[in-house]
Amino acid sequence: MQTSCYLCLAMLKKYLIISTTTDLVRIAPERIVFISSDGNYCNLVQSDNETRMLTFQLGQVESMIREQLGTEGLQFIRIGRGLIINRNYIYYINIQSQKLILSDVARFTHTVSASKEALKQLKELIEKEAKE
Amino acid sequence: MKEINEIRDDEIRVIGEEKQPKPQGWRWLLLLLAGIIVGVIIWQVWPSKPEPPVEDPEQGVFEPSKPTVEQPVVKLPLAKAEDTGRAFVEMADTVINDIPMRLYIPHQVSLSLHLGPIDKKDKGIIFTAQAADIRADNGGIVGAFVLKGEPKAWGLSKKGYCAIINDTVTVGVADNSPLFEEATEKSGYFFRQFPLVDNGKLVENEQKGKSVRRALCVRNGELFTMETLTQESFHDFAQALVDLGVDNAIYLVGANAYGWATDSEGQRHEFGDPNPKTSKKWRNINYLVMREK
Repeated sequence: MQTSCYLCLAMLKKYLIISTTTDLVRIAPERIVFISSDGNYCNLVQSDNETRMLTFQLGQVESMIREQLGTEGLQFIRIGRGLIINRNYIYYINIQSQKLILSDVARFTHTVSASKEALKQLKELIEKEAKE
Repeated sequence: MKEINEIRDDEIRVIGEEKQPKPQGWRWLLLLLAGIIVGVIIWQVWPSKPEPPVEDPEQGVFEPSKPTVEQPVVKLPLAKAEDTGRAFVEMADTVINDIPMRLYIPHQVSLSLHLGPIDKKDKGIIFTAQAADIRADNGGIVGAFVLKGEPKAWGLSKKGYCAIINDTVTVGVADNSPLFEEATEKSGYFFRQFPLVDNGKLVENEQKGKSVRRALCVRNGELFTMETLTQESFHDFAQALVDLGVDNAIYLVGANAYGWATDSEGQRHEFGDPNPKTSKKWRNINYLVMREK
């Protein structure tokens, strides 16, 4: 009984599926640390420190997250035109130096950059949510 | 797939935040039932549509493919000069790599350079934009500059150049260009700027930071200028030009540098800061000028 319930939960678990006519990537949302824009492509940085290049623009990936993950997509935040981050891995924000560190404080640490205004808004969002 | 481009670099948004209010109780069941009935009716009645053709069956998720331009690539020129019989600038907005941009496509114009503050009352100027940079310390023109055959400045700090000689405009990249001498011999014009695209390839520049960017471009033998509608890095701007299919492009002074374009209705569209630059520092302010042929 316990096993079958576990399987039910596993089946209900949502994955982000990025598919073209010839390839498919299926990844659990919590394994995504951030996705950065690289011209017409994107780089998806995973929690195992691997980076995958996706032949989609960041706006398209954002649409996929919204459409496929529904409320689970809430863990992702679009920051400016160049970045989508997983909020679960926000570790450090420094507005002045425009630095944002994404880390699980165990296996990986990634430093990304964003505009001061965007980081200010992000900081306020985190603070606001902590109070709720 | 719907594109989401409406975000600036100084904005954030939580993805999936746009929640629809959930119908509750019997309303939910009623809506579900109605949905099923409508679905069945549509399925029965609606004629089946053929599958859209696969554009690129070889495209892979992890394999680089041809870059895509979000908006249709603009074919230049968009309209023929004969349509109006007079000089004008056609303006077209597009988005490339999430960068909103404006194209200024001149028709029936000849090019020259102008040194000193521009005369805003001169209605013969169809398009103008600042050409060469001027030095912050002494106000001198950065790089070689020839005004109607007269050399005004010498220097190679920027490798991009534009030469206007006998109505022939050349945009290119070179350390030394014989067109500088030719411009002096044939009453031509010459200025230097940062190179952005050289024979379809992106040219990296060391300049950091973001600003409104402008460029003088040549694509398939057609000359036009481009302006970003948001602040962009040199690299992103140059990449967008490459993706648009530009063959050669050099920078034009960006940020709040003043200029204007006159459309086919004769209406002037200004960009940048229109306040006149009167101090001594600006004595060498210079403009690329397009007039009716």
